[in-house]
Amino acid sequence: MGKVAMVGDTTSVAGFRPLGFAVFGVERPEQARELWPELVSGTFDVVFVTEPVYEAVADLASEVADRPVPAVTVVPGVGSSGGVGEAKLARAIERALGTKVL
Amino acid sequence: MPSLRVNPNRMELLKLRRRADVARRGHKLLKDKLEQLLKEFMSRIAENRRLRAEVERDLFEAYGLLAVARAEAGAATITQALLAGEPTGIVTAGQRNVMSVRVPVLQLSELPTPGGYSYATTPAVLDEALARLASVVPRMIELAEREKAIELLAAEIETTRRRVNALEYVLIPQLVSTVRDIRMKLDEAERSDLTRLMKVKAMIEEQQREA
Repeated sequence: MGKVAMVGDTTSVAGFRPLGFAVFGVERPEQARELWPELVSGTFDVVFVTEPVYEAVADLASEVADRPVPAVTVVPGVGSSGGVGEAKLARAIERALGTKVL
Repeated sequence: MPSLRVNPNRMELLKLRRRADVARRGHKLLKDKLEQLLKEFMSRIAENRRLRAEVERDLFEAYGLLAVARAEAGAATITQALLAGEPTGIVTAGQRNVMSVRVPVLQLSELPTPGGYSYATTPAVLDEALARLASVVPRMIELAEREKAIELLAAEIETTRRRVNALEYVLIPQLVSTVRDIRMKLDEAERSDLTRLMKVKAMIEEQQREA
C-alpha cells in the first residue's frame, strides 16, 4: 500500500490529514526542497504539491518525471491562482510535439 | 552525407546493403510507433484538461468551506481538530504497459472517515468541508495517474522521435552513400581490368604477327 503526500502551506494541506494523507506543512515553499529526498524515496506513490511549492521544487521534480512513481502532481493551494498545473501539462506537450499547440 | 570509411570490396558491399535494409525496416517500425504514441497522447490531453479544471474548481470550493469553518470556530480550534488522523496507505500502485511505456495505475482504497474531533467545539461546516475534500480525492488520484502517464508518454515520444530522425537523416543516408561509393569503385576497377586485358591482348597479337 502506498501513501499519498501533500506538501504545501499549512492552511492548504491541513484538511487532507483526516483523509489519510501524509501532510507536510511548510512555511516557505523553499523548505520543500529539504523534504524532497524523503518524498521521492519510495514511501509515497503520489505526491501532491501546491503551486508555490511546485515552483520552488520544479527542477527536483523533473528528475523523477521519467519514473512511474512517485507521481508528482500540482494542485492549487489556498489563495493561489491556478494555472501552474496547466503550464506543466503544456511543457509535456511541448516536449512531445516539439512545438506549442493550442 | 559523408560515407563510412570501409574497404571497397564485395563483402563490404553486401554487408552494408543488408545493414541499410535493416535500418529501413527499423525506421518504418519506429515511425509507426511514434504515430501511435502521438495518437494515444493527444487523446489523453483533452480528457486531462477537463479533469484538472474540475479538480481545481472543487478544491477551491472545499478550501472555501474550510475557511468558513476557521472563521466560525477560530483557526486554532480547526487546526487542532484536523490533527486527528494518521497517514495510512490509501493507494495501491500497479503498472500498465501503454505502447511499451510503463505507466502507473493507482487504485484508491477506502478513505478513512474523518472524525476524532469534538463535534461540540467544531462547526458543522467543517464536516461538510471534509466531505467535499474527500469527494475530490478520488479525482485527484485519477488526475495524478493521468498526468504521470502523459509525462511518461511525452518522454517516450521525444526519444522515439530522436531515433526516427537519427535513422532517417543520418544512418540511412550514410549507408546509401557508402554503398554507392563502393559500387563506383568496383565498377571502376572492373573497367580498368577490362581495358588492361584488351591492351595485353593487342600486344600479344602484335608480337605474334611480328614473329
